[in-house]
Amino acid sequence: MSLTPKTKTPKGVLILLAAQIICAVFFLSDVIDDFRAYGPMALHDTHILIETTSALLLWMAILFEIRLFFGLLRRTAHLESSLSITQAAMHDVIEAHFTSWGLTPSEQDVATFMVKGLSISEIAALRGSAEGTIKAHLHAIYRKSGTNNRGEVLSLLIDSLMDDAPIQTGMT
Amino acid sequence: MARIKVWDPFIRLFHWSLVILFAANSLVVDDDSKLHIWVGYAILGLVGLRIIWGFIGSCHARFADFPPSLSGAMAQLSEMATRRKHAHAGHSPLGALMIYNLILTILVISLSGYLMTTNMFWGTEWPEELHEVAVAWAQISVVAHVAAVIFETRRLGVNLARSMVTGYKDM
Repeated sequence: MSLTPKTKTPKGVLILLAAQIICAVFFLSDVIDDFRAYGPMALHDTHILIETTSALLLWMAILFEIRLFFGLLRRTAHLESSLSITQAAMHDVIEAHFTSWGLTPSEQDVATFMVKGLSISEIAALRGSAEGTIKAHLHAIYRKSGTNNRGEVLSLLIDSLMDDAPIQTGMT
Repeated sequence: MARIKVWDPFIRLFHWSLVILFAANSLVVDDDSKLHIWVGYAILGLVGLRIIWGFIGSCHARFADFPPSLSGAMAQLSEMATRRKHAHAGHSPLGALMIYNLILTILVISLSGYLMTTNMFWGTEWPEELHEVAVAWAQISVVAHVAAVIFETRRLGVNLARSMVTGYKDM
């Protein structure tokens, strides 16, 4: 039996997000209309103030959701669809390192390709950017992780995997 | 960098005529005037031609070149999330969704506006309400469309607005 984790980003989230944005645009335009109609007087109206706060909070929630959604998209983009549970768990450990080094989304993407053993020109083609850009990303990755080359990054990751891996018995 | 011919003259003429006529009718022309109605007919005619062109036009003008696709939209969002940059020659998947949205909204505006002029619907409220809601939706969509063009131009380094003038994309 092959256990495979879910790697598809639910499209439902995208539709929900779109619906929320439509509502938020509606509420915000309502608030703007109110302020246009009443001017500074609107600031003394409790109902309008509550409406304004709700609209702004809804927008903040949407921005927060978009951040989460983009994180989810990145994770999905880096995981292959036919990954086993073990591989996915390993991927999580590696990604946790990338996050703790403070890599930007671009650098995380490059680092993931690098760990998979792709060459600079291959990474450049996959990301649609110049090789010079990829080299700059690699240097940033080395600097942030305190390493000097690809090999050292890999050693660092493998080291931590061996340290963190719980001893598993009776499971293959 | 290659210079790719993307938009044929009809598409460009359609786009900028629609910009001018829609802006005129929603912002400048008096809603109750005869001119408002004539501009409305012109817009309906333009969109009608665009729909025909969507079946017989040049490569990137055809609907078959940009079918509405949720998985394509997800792929484009993933590209944004991972900061990968692959420009599309024609409409991008998200751009395509906006095009369908705009075409449908403008059809709703034109048809509800036409109903308001007929004797059959004289004194009926709903065509006017539908007309106003659809116009508000179209205005929000236009703002979103322009914002998205600026965002994608910066993200991909391909000047999308200029390609709608010259017909070429440098990518």
